[in-house]
Amino acid sequence: MADTWRLISNPKGEIADMVGYASALVEGRIAGKYMLSTEKLPDTIVVQGFREKGILAGAEIDINRDTAKKYGISVANYPRGGRGGPKPVGTVSLSDLLKTSSRNFSAVETAPDDPAVLLYTSGTTGRPKGVTLTHRNFHQQCTNVSKVMPLLPEDVVVLVLPLFHVYGLSNGLVSGIFFGTKMTLVPQYSPSMLLENIAKVKATVLIAVPSMYMHLLQLAKTRKAGIPQSLRVCVSGGAPLTLTTLREFEEAFQTRIAEGYGLTETTSSVCLNKSGEAFKPGSIGPAAEGVEMRVVDDNDNEVPDGTEGEIVIRSAVVTPGYWNNPEATAESIIDGWLHTGDLGYRDPDGFFFITDRKKDLIIRGGFNISPREIEEFLVTNPKVYDAAVIAVHDKRDREAVKAFVVLEEGQTATEREILDFCSEGLAEYKVPKFVEFRDTLPKSATGKILRKELREGYQDDRMLDQQAGEEASNG
Amino acid sequence: MDNVRSLGKMLEEVAKKQKKKQAILFENREVSYRELDENANKIANGLKSLGIIKGDRVALMMPNIPDFIYAFFAIQKLGAVAVPFNTMYKGREIIHILNDCGARAIITMTNFANLINEVREDVPTLEHVILTGQRTMVFVTPDNTVNVQMVVGKKTFESGDDAFRVVGEILIDTFKQFGVETWYKHRGGVRVGGKKLATVLVSEVENLVVINVVAFLGPLHTDDFFRVIWVSPEVKDKVMEPMTSVEEETGTLPSIDEFKTKLLTSLKARLGVDAEEGQLKRDELFGYEKTLALARKTQ
Repeated sequence: MADTWRLISNPKGEIADMVGYASALVEGRIAGKYMLSTEKLPDTIVVQGFREKGILAGAEIDINRDTAKKYGISVANYPRGGRGGPKPVGTVSLSDLLKTSSRNFSAVETAPDDPAVLLYTSGTTGRPKGVTLTHRNFHQQCTNVSKVMPLLPEDVVVLVLPLFHVYGLSNGLVSGIFFGTKMTLVPQYSPSMLLENIAKVKATVLIAVPSMYMHLLQLAKTRKAGIPQSLRVCVSGGAPLTLTTLREFEEAFQTRIAEGYGLTETTSSVCLNKSGEAFKPGSIGPAAEGVEMRVVDDNDNEVPDGTEGEIVIRSAVVTPGYWNNPEATAESIIDGWLHTGDLGYRDPDGFFFITDRKKDLIIRGGFNISPREIEEFLVTNPKVYDAAVIAVHDKRDREAVKAFVVLEEGQTATEREILDFCSEGLAEYKVPKFVEFRDTLPKSATGKILRKELREGYQDDRMLDQQAGEEASNG
Repeated sequence: MDNVRSLGKMLEEVAKKQKKKQAILFENREVSYRELDENANKIANGLKSLGIIKGDRVALMMPNIPDFIYAFFAIQKLGAVAVPFNTMYKGREIIHILNDCGARAIITMTNFANLINEVREDVPTLEHVILTGQRTMVFVTPDNTVNVQMVVGKKTFESGDDAFRVVGEILIDTFKQFGVETWYKHRGGVRVGGKKLATVLVSEVENLVVINVVAFLGPLHTDDFFRVIWVSPEVKDKVMEPMTSVEEETGTLPSIDEFKTKLLTSLKARLGVDAEEGQLKRDELFGYEKTLALARKTQ
């Protein structure tokens, strides 16, 4: 039977039409089914274009409507859906689960070393690996925090770091619950939203990354008045925070920042450099109670204080290993010591300093070159906003230094200029061979530069290709 | 002595000690420790009813919203293993993680339904996709973006899956008429190589199938949108999947009318359906105006 559908053409529609038609058609049909309407409505297809730029957003997306107006973007929200609205095929709704289930449930017994969480981390090479974290790991982390920097039940903790990352999950959420604190959630980070949130709830504890402290400070400088003074303590981690930012932030917000160091493999922090107490600029602090930390050479022998080596850690916060990956586990956990891949040294007071990532080292003519050292030097140029350095291979297949440079807004510079600047301040063998200008650098959720994504032949894993899909389904 | 408390017990004990104390502040809502514990219990019971048991892996792909916390502790109370991962992951990254951990269920946002649905057949262990929240986002650029909505009786297709498949074929046919060779990833997008050219979402309600397609005739200019929605500069290029458009593939921007004509030709070929121009009926117009007013309303 030849079917005829109704066609509705709307070549100059508006963004709200994207929900308007479907919703009207569904309502009309359902009303018809219950004979609330006399008209029998046909199957319908709507084809529409748009007369202006538009954003259709879920009710929980925060959109700056003034800016939208300025740029001629019309904004529409999905009306908040109740039960009974259209549901994507083959899915279950969480709100249905919440509405239909009993509120009584007693936690199932588990063993301390049962896995509780898997967190996937990208190494320098290859696919992300699942770090297994057990109930014991989290319990020990909370115990360590209670000794180093206890939270109080009256604290209001800002959870702005993503909870899918170990830092936000372990030091934010799980510690927040352990100490019975009040937690304020910031689902979508923007500097102004974070600042407003701190002020609104009179937050006392902020757990964040250096870029957030930098953004907040910039904002505070332009506003001058109304900077919240409620923060009792702040923790910074994920990447190093400059001493200037630390001092200025502490002054503006009347608070203290403790810099932490930790890995996914250690259920987050293992040491803390607390400003205002025993504090050493540039250090990650001494090892926390409950954590053993050492610096070793390539043969796993401990090196004297002041000598650079790899940092290794033994503690009940250390993961039992990578999920289903005994090879990777055996490579990084040797005799109970987790090899962090971070290079650094310990000073005579037991404070640790990180110098670089072992795997990121560039070796040229037998010399070790630290990408981090070159990056830190590059950003001392007032025109340079950010920089990343990796090893590439030159024509003779030797490792060579390549710098990716992001310039300050409104600045221009030539490759020659950057190279000359480097020649003035760096040993000849450390001066980059290549310079590439970029608008941004790829970074992780906590602000670490993803050098892997800068390397040649980097595969964009966001894409799906036909072959990959077929391989996966055949395999 | 081993006095390690499991994460599930940890919440239970804290909640018992301070039932009325606020645990979570979110937007203008306050959630007490008792409510937090009860919501975790409800989801634990819900997951249990879906067959999730101790040791199973349950993935979480959510921003920092209360549902993340309820779901996380629900998983802990079941003795299952939570696998939270980056909400910016796409495509192969998601396939790798879900397969590596053998996730049986994923709890995620409605706006990620497409991303997850289209990798479902590549993740044989994944039985349940549980959706929450309203964080979907669609950008459109005048003349460059076309939207197709279909509301048709359920019996037009054999099943929801069949609807996905047929619409995918119709789109492939349509783009082929422009000289663009595409492939369709079941339950998701139409692509040229790895780049997305159109997305398909199929929903069901009562006896109806609702199909929503967004296709790119010309490039989407994302810069303006990122002025309105704050995304940190470092991650800007990761928010979106790599995309393309008919214009980028062929050098010519087709009109909406051309697209419509070709789409209707493909519709006729695949479903034997004719289309006759019409308008909304009086009864429908009420619903249309009401929805539009709600959608345009400033929050």
